[in-house]
Amino acid sequence: MSLYLVTILTNMTLISFIAISAYLILIVGEVSFGQQAFFGIGAYVTATSTALLGLDLVIALFFAFIVSASFALVLSFLTVRLSGLYFAVASLCFAELLRLSLYKVEYTVETNSGTIGPNGPEGFQNIRWIFENNISPENFLIIALSSLLALILFLIFMESSKLFKNARLVGKDQIVAQSIGIKPFVYRVSFITLAGGVAGFGGGLFALFNTYIEPSMFGIMLGVHGLAYSIIGGLGYPLGPLLGVFIDIGLLESVRFLSEYRMILFGGLVAAILIIFPEGIISPRLVSRIKRNLVKKTNA
Amino acid sequence: MLNIENIGKNFGGVKAVDDLTFRVDKGEIVGLIGPNGSGKSTTINLICGVFPVDLGSISVDDRNISKLPTHERVASGISRTFQNIRLFKELSVWQNVWVALQKDSYQSLGWMQEWFGNSKIQKERIKEILVFSGLGDRFDDLAGNLSFGEQRRLELARAIASKPKLVLLDEPAAGMNSDEVADLRQRILDLRELGLTVLLVEHVMELVMNVVDRIVVLNFGKKIAEGNPQDIQKNIEVQKAYLGGA
Repeated sequence: MSLYLVTILTNMTLISFIAISAYLILIVGEVSFGQQAFFGIGAYVTATSTALLGLDLVIALFFAFIVSASFALVLSFLTVRLSGLYFAVASLCFAELLRLSLYKVEYTVETNSGTIGPNGPEGFQNIRWIFENNISPENFLIIALSSLLALILFLIFMESSKLFKNARLVGKDQIVAQSIGIKPFVYRVSFITLAGGVAGFGGGLFALFNTYIEPSMFGIMLGVHGLAYSIIGGLGYPLGPLLGVFIDIGLLESVRFLSEYRMILFGGLVAAILIIFPEGIISPRLVSRIKRNLVKKTNA
Repeated sequence: MLNIENIGKNFGGVKAVDDLTFRVDKGEIVGLIGPNGSGKSTTINLICGVFPVDLGSISVDDRNISKLPTHERVASGISRTFQNIRLFKELSVWQNVWVALQKDSYQSLGWMQEWFGNSKIQKERIKEILVFSGLGDRFDDLAGNLSFGEQRRLELARAIASKPKLVLLDEPAAGMNSDEVADLRQRILDLRELGLTVLLVEHVMELVMNVVDRIVVLNFGKKIAEGNPQDIQKNIEVQKAYLGGA
């Protein structure tokens, strides 16, 4: 595989984490413009754990998950009474607040390989984990892809649980959900928290892969892309966000020969997809139809 | 059973419900009627906890529920249908009932089954409810593909699935023809046979007059009359409210 292809695939894998985290919040009926901040927190935590503290990959990513999930938990409690547009704006404010605070975080250590540690606007440089451990780009892709695969399998398994089913009911119609005895609060809090953790995990991998991170990388456009991927891909099944990422980045890369015109083509295509598939490609409707057909076949 | 005491609710400056008091006894079918905008649906929403009451108290079986959130009121035995049908249209008929079996007292399953399994017992229970509601042959169909009358029946099925003591029906006959109203009337009487108590908010007098034991009449959020159907029909105040007299 060429290095170009490996890099593209790795980027697609990493951005999938943010798409899935947007997807998890969309399931409970909210739109978050703030997942990029949890991605960023995960990146900083992982960078600190590996470069400054010298921790293992697994422990570093575990910390990334826990810390960003805790921040998301705070967000979910702060926004208990908000929904719709107001939740979207609150999530964006929260994200920007966290991102801008990163400009003020300075703690650097001089080493043989240069300055490491968060250094305000200059970011966190020299995250040398992949060099220290001799991880080739292919191997890193395998690490990222297998984590993504594990996450997807987990989500597919959880789709059939009451937790996910009830969460979808809350997302569709909160008043009906309440009037059949579901407590929306529980599902909102757990999904927003889980989404934060997932984004943080992806951010952790991103920091290791990129070897350099700075606060400006985690701006709103990152979160908007994540949202767009899961909306294009559809909210019916955990594979939806992946499909969205695949269509978006895959397409953008494949039409690179069009140079500056490709964004125009891309914008038009996203619009066209949403006209043809208003609920995304793998929509809840499509999934329920496929499931019903499967059940009929097994019964016949 | 249901005891409503001096409840009030303001929306801005409008008194949607004003010092309303009435009670529904166990096994009764009580009708709540009134002209448009008289506060009937608001009353239902207050009982369910969609909005909190500003004043007064609502109690079920002598337990004050006016401060509880909606899902806890459901647990204490209240369920409802909606004026504008609110089903999960992309789910099948049986799934729409299944969602209401949140705490199913009919079974004791392990948590794995509770969380992942649609066990046989549950399906049998759902089938039973659907047959009772006249939807036995639509088990696997999509809720969105049902006719209007069938969707109403499915809402009713979902409402009784949580094993409530009190069912609140919010204009179940809206948009029905007279055959469907007759069918609905029988279904409401069936609910009483099951031992349920029913509070019926309705415009269709053909239904109300023929099914309820007692009627409470609202106008501008206030109770203007209460009594059995014959008395209400003769009541001058009620006639004025409906005919728009001074």
